[in-house]
Amino acid sequence: MHNQIKQKAIKEITQANDLKKLEEIYRTYIGRKGKITEILRSLKDLSEKEKKEKGKITNQIKNEINDMIKEKENKLLSKKDDNKGWIDVTAPGIKVPQGHLHPITLVQRQIEDIFQSMGFSVLDGPEVETSYYNFDALNVPKNHPARDVQDTFWLKDLDLLLRTHTSPMQARYMEKNNPPLRIIVPGKCFRYEATDSTHDIQFYQFEGLMVGKDVSVANLKAIIEEFLKEFFSSSDIKIRLRPSYFPFVEPGFEVDVKRKGGEWLEIIGAGMVHPNVFKEAGYTNEWQGFAFGAGIDRLTMIKYQINDIRLLYSSDLRFLKQF
Amino acid sequence: MKISYNWLQSFFNKKLPVPEKLADLLTFHSFEVEEVKENNDDWILDIDVLPNRSHDCLSHKGIAREISVLLKYPFKLIDYGKKIKESKELASKVVKIEVEDKKMCSRYTSRVVVDVKIDSSPKWIQDRLITCGLKPISNVVDIANYVMLETGQPMHAFDADKIAGNKIVVRKAKKGEKMVSLDNEKYDLDENVLVIADEKGPVCIAGIKGGINPGIDGQTKRIVLEAANFNLRVIRQGSKKINLRTDASWRFENGLDPNLTQEAIDMCTYLIQKIAKGKVLKGLIDIYQDKREAKKINLDTFKVRSLLGINISDKDIIDILKRLNFKVKKTKNKLQVTVPTIRLDLSIPEDLIEEIGRIYGFEKIPSQLPNAFLIPSKKREDLIYQNKIKDILTNLGFSEVYNYSLLSNKESIKLANPVSQEQKYLRSSLMTLLIKNIKDNKRYFERVRLFEIGKVFYLDKRQVIEKKKLACIISLDEKKKESQEFYHLKGVIDSLLNKIGISDIWYDDTLGKNRKAEIKVGNDLLGYIEEIESNIAGFEIDFEKIVQLATEERVYAAPSKYPAMVRDISVLVDHGTKVVEVLNLINRVGGFLVRDIDLFDIYKGENIPDSKKNLAFHIVFQSDERTLVDSEVNQLRDIIITALEKEGGWEVRKQNA
Repeated sequence: MHNQIKQKAIKEITQANDLKKLEEIYRTYIGRKGKITEILRSLKDLSEKEKKEKGKITNQIKNEINDMIKEKENKLLSKKDDNKGWIDVTAPGIKVPQGHLHPITLVQRQIEDIFQSMGFSVLDGPEVETSYYNFDALNVPKNHPARDVQDTFWLKDLDLLLRTHTSPMQARYMEKNNPPLRIIVPGKCFRYEATDSTHDIQFYQFEGLMVGKDVSVANLKAIIEEFLKEFFSSSDIKIRLRPSYFPFVEPGFEVDVKRKGGEWLEIIGAGMVHPNVFKEAGYTNEWQGFAFGAGIDRLTMIKYQINDIRLLYSSDLRFLKQF
Repeated sequence: MKISYNWLQSFFNKKLPVPEKLADLLTFHSFEVEEVKENNDDWILDIDVLPNRSHDCLSHKGIAREISVLLKYPFKLIDYGKKIKESKELASKVVKIEVEDKKMCSRYTSRVVVDVKIDSSPKWIQDRLITCGLKPISNVVDIANYVMLETGQPMHAFDADKIAGNKIVVRKAKKGEKMVSLDNEKYDLDENVLVIADEKGPVCIAGIKGGINPGIDGQTKRIVLEAANFNLRVIRQGSKKINLRTDASWRFENGLDPNLTQEAIDMCTYLIQKIAKGKVLKGLIDIYQDKREAKKINLDTFKVRSLLGINISDKDIIDILKRLNFKVKKTKNKLQVTVPTIRLDLSIPEDLIEEIGRIYGFEKIPSQLPNAFLIPSKKREDLIYQNKIKDILTNLGFSEVYNYSLLSNKESIKLANPVSQEQKYLRSSLMTLLIKNIKDNKRYFERVRLFEIGKVFYLDKRQVIEKKKLACIISLDEKKKESQEFYHLKGVIDSLLNKIGISDIWYDDTLGKNRKAEIKVGNDLLGYIEEIESNIAGFEIDFEKIVQLATEERVYAAPSKYPAMVRDISVLVDHGTKVVEVLNLINRVGGFLVRDIDLFDIYKGENIPDSKKNLAFHIVFQSDERTLVDSEVNQLRDIIITALEKEGGWEVRKQNA
């Protein structure tokens, strides 16, 4: 019986991890009403011999338990003062330098990924262009009012301009590659215009072009729909085509998109490649295809609800670090 | 263009849909209606007529014609010619007309009306003009404008008694000629401008603005009316030259059907006869070269179905073409379509397919994924590396910026037509704006790390060179170490280039002992690194070059199976001594067993003389063939120490085993 009590006491002391618990153990075993104290009291009824014998053992256990509690008490007290064993997990972490990709990069990557998954190759083109590739090869005749629609920056003393759209790459690519083909061309473009919250002298655009033997308006609709579903991560996307005019396509459309609960947004200009563009590239009339162009800035602004295009070119970290 | 709903209704007996519905119909089949606004008892539809249809739709009649096709409503046409009562007196007696430059004026149509009573115009005309944004002036002028808004053909009226010599000539202006307009503006003319002139000089800038001299006023009795077809290029050019765009020039610039002049002048004449009580003289003066005929286009109906991706029958195609007022003749397997001259925009089958598509309804075309051929999609190598490099740099703590390509600082390529002084040169370096970015951002952040990948431009033998560059710039907080930004960036370059598989990077200071070095790989110059200001450092490298180097095939070496041994050496050198001098010496005398030398400390300060610095190196020895023994490594170390002391003349301060 003594041994049982002793073992139990040792176990409890070992497990005790605060002073309050230790105090409790003290009271349970060797306090005034403790179990060991009770045993010692009960000895008075025994014979002197038994009293002496049992008393000795009991006192020994009492001392042992007492010593253990003392020892544990010291241990717990010293722990309390020692910070080495303790971490303030609520303190902030050490700052690691963190870089951010520009939102246009994020959106452009998404566009590239979606179109690559549909078999479109991704290309790049020059920003300084000739009027041949920017206009003539795209069926925009000289002196035509269409050249007014997209007023152009010209380089001084050089017969060159800053491209007003990514479409010159249609002409450049078809000149060097045979159909069938599927490409997209993201890139920087420039327009001579007054700046405001939705217009700037530079912007990013991407061009799409698909040419085959029977590529149709119905295909154009489907590809654009697929793209928009992926881009906005939602299958609840509606699109509509409105008649529009771009000299390098016939028929030409404006594509509007409506997201769930949203309004119709005009985001893509598109159409079927004009036969004169094919002719200029040296393609025979057995080929047909679609082309489209959309503003990457505009998609970025829609996606992240940015209300001023100029923020994109402000290089302000307070803005950029949010991406 | 502002279009009056009531005016449109006047072309039809059947009731038009409500304005909002009509606007939707036009938006989805013809042109975008940007706004519908109620105005007194009318509605204004603000219609954005597309450039390819401006020749026939900048008018109420043009829009009404579209509506009649879309709704299958019959269109009321009035032949005003039949309503004109001509007197016996000949119009050609009052005025002679001569077209000198026939290329610039393919048709000039004129009528003369006499005994006209100039007054204000009736309310219904005034109301419609105001609805469309024009100011009423007098009956004759208002009627001319009214006819333009209805037919799209600009009109002009002269006071016949003020035309010197009773003769009108259409010709190019001569340099030095001047004209004062109806609204008292002076214009200096030259041979870029087409004018209508009398014996004394220009009386009207053709197709753009009338002159004050023969203008209609309260005393005007005899009127010469003009409905002409001027070449769109000469109007554009003239309008640019004198910097003036008017309702008339806007319409001419888009080209007009020369067959339009007659119906317009008849309508105008009839209204003047009726409203201003004029007497119409006999004869239409009409100078018309190369009469414009209706075009014939052959259409393959298979192509219609294939291009639109719909299953539309030949019958439905023909039906749509007929609704458009085209004549259709069926030949073997094609349709021969005759298009009225008013549709200048239609000349090839695809033009007709667009008409069929939009009348059929683009909304009815199904979405159908293409039956595509299998070609693997490719991405240009530089775009792949661009993404990779952007990721590496953001992981190193740099944020990406997109700056403008245009600068205010002088560069070799200038814009001919800048929008502002701030943006008139094409950047030849990304650094200019990055430095500005750093300064702007330092107001809010202690440490700023930025990068940009973009095109720069410069002239080389009058050729424009366009190059993609990568630039990084950095500014850290309080000075902890001399030129910390510079060394930080060197580390970034090493880390970046190593990650894309480029090694052997070295920094050439042949530029002289300043705060700038060229970054090289082998013999290739990649770019430069520079301490720009005391706390700003940047580098700019040729992006195409690193892509080229990164894509070269490389041979990889297996790591050595044998352990490496390290000895540390600490060398006291003059402040002006370059680290590379010490490294080169160690490499040369240490031989092939020296695998790596790592400079782990540069120390100046306590216990070191002012003019000196202490360089501490770990030298790593390793062989691919065997385990090295202590004695040989110590021997090599001693050789190195001796060389450093004897050849280099430096003091080797401390060493360990």
